Amino acid sequence: MSESILFVSLSWKRRALGGVSREGFRRALKKRAYGALLSKIFQDGTKGSASATSAVANTPPRNKILMICFDLRVAGCREEAETLEEQLGRLPEGASSGLKEVDSVLELLVHLAGSAPPPPTSF
Amino acid sequence: MASAANANLNAVRETMDVLLEISRLLNTGLDMESLSICVRLCEQGINPEALSSVIKELRKASDSLKTSENCTN
Repeated sequence: MSESILFVSLSWKRRALGGVSREGFRRALKKRAYGALLSKIFQDGTKGSASATSAVANTPPRNKILMICFDLRVAGCREEAETLEEQLGRLPEGASSGLKEVDSVLELLVHLAGSAPPPPTSF
Repeated sequence: MASAANANLNAVRETMDVLLEISRLLNTGLDMESLSICVRLCEQGINPEALSSVIKELRKASDSLKTSENCTN
């Protein structure tokens, strides 16, 4: 009885993951994650315009979000740009935020900006 | 002592709400749970650029694995 329950739950999990075993799925994702982390180790850091890269890298994340606000305005999304600026203004700085690395989180959000499929538009 | 901890908790909650709203406006695809995990990782000193690369790569891998499995079924 317990074996059949185990079998049913396992096959249900396999179906939920699209037929791939959970372990296989995990292994494949782990491999890709390490690949992404380690891929840049052996790349030549002197390639490309180093000054332009460092200028962007040295821009504070709050300024990068303000630059995104500008891009949104240029694209005609004035409302979104204003809401984004407003939320950025609400974000406490330093210790008052209760977090130590707010700027790192903002940096992460800037890197992930636009990486998800756009939300469905309603008519 | 307890009131200081409560005040800090409230500050964190408020900050998380603002971060989630910014994340939604930027269309990052992070929900509250994944954002909380990312915040914890950043608090532990993880490089945000490396973390974003891994998140994007995992999304691509997950999509391609699902697509290939759907094709074989």
